[in-house]
Amino acid sequence: MTTETTVDVIDKVLGLAPASPLLALREQRAKLRHLTQTSYVAALHPTDPRNFSYAERAAFAARMAALWTSQELQAHYRDLAATEGASGDVLSIADPAWKPEDEASRLAVILRHVDLVTKNPKAATRENIEKLYAAGLDDRDIVTLAGIIAFVNYQVLVVAGLKMLRDN
Amino acid sequence: MSDAVHEFTLDALEWQPYVKPVDLQTATPEQLDALKVTPSNTKVSAYVLVLAQETEMLAERSPLFNDIMYSDGGLSRGGRELGALAASFVNHCIYCAQVHANRFIQLEKRPEVVEEIYQNGLEADLGEYDQALFNFGVDLTAHPDNVGVYQFYHLRETGLSDLEILDLIHSVAIFGWANRLMHTLGEPHRKD
Repeated sequence: MTTETTVDVIDKVLGLAPASPLLALREQRAKLRHLTQTSYVAALHPTDPRNFSYAERAAFAARMAALWTSQELQAHYRDLAATEGASGDVLSIADPAWKPEDEASRLAVILRHVDLVTKNPKAATRENIEKLYAAGLDDRDIVTLAGIIAFVNYQVLVVAGLKMLRDN
Repeated sequence: MSDAVHEFTLDALEWQPYVKPVDLQTATPEQLDALKVTPSNTKVSAYVLVLAQETEMLAERSPLFNDIMYSDGGLSRGGRELGALAASFVNHCIYCAQVHANRFIQLEKRPEVVEEIYQNGLEADLGEYDQALFNFGVDLTAHPDNVGVYQFYHLRETGLSDLEILDLIHSVAIFGWANRLMHTLGEPHRKD
């Protein structure tokens, strides 16, 4: 499996060595550290990826990390997308400046939603969910997409906060 | 049915989804397990029933949320609620704000803090300790790419330990998650 469950992805992107004081601090909250990692696997590499491939999920995550200029996570997710076999349009997703040529396509609608909910969630309304249905997503797809977006944004904030602790 | 509420309020609200919730009658064993439905506990909110569309994520998310908000030691329960409230104000999650503002009042018995935030929003003028927690919640939520030495020293000057700061980071971050579900997948209505 490419989304390794034994390596804590946040420790990895922050480069926390075994003797790091921040790692010791994180271990004081071992349960939530573990559940953050299992949530990562559930969002990026669930048992049943259904209508969002592993490559697509990793590419969405890379895009969101880039939108927040979270360089560590962006690098991680770009590598992950490649490892998961992303190519063509799926690989392009990772670049926030990229959009599909057909602006009415399923992917174009999804990426507009990813960008909106990442950077400006307060502006989201019922209409945004209606657009996802109109693009062919079903109830579960919409909850899956929301979950991926929400998790990656959580992770961006955790990494940003931990980086502040690491560097000060 | 009452109209949807789009302004911050402390009144009791009911969240109504835009997306179809899982029907408990036809739920799979995996869904029931993630929902923690037992014969003695069949009361599940519409919000959690919507999230049960994606069982694998929900099964991890519920215990994570609980550990972040309720674990022993470290930052006070009220301090974590203030972090949650700051995030919910930035992200304009009316329902999340209502729930966590009321919890803060319940725990801290200081309704004036919440009143000030509801009056002046992100510009709220609070006591030194509350201000430090609130400002950090606002900054991390609005600009995770711009949190550093300034925020750190503000928290440190207020006397927060590393563990307390870690707890604050998580309580803000988990609302970066929760707000993006609750505010985007449905909307609150005033309870009749």
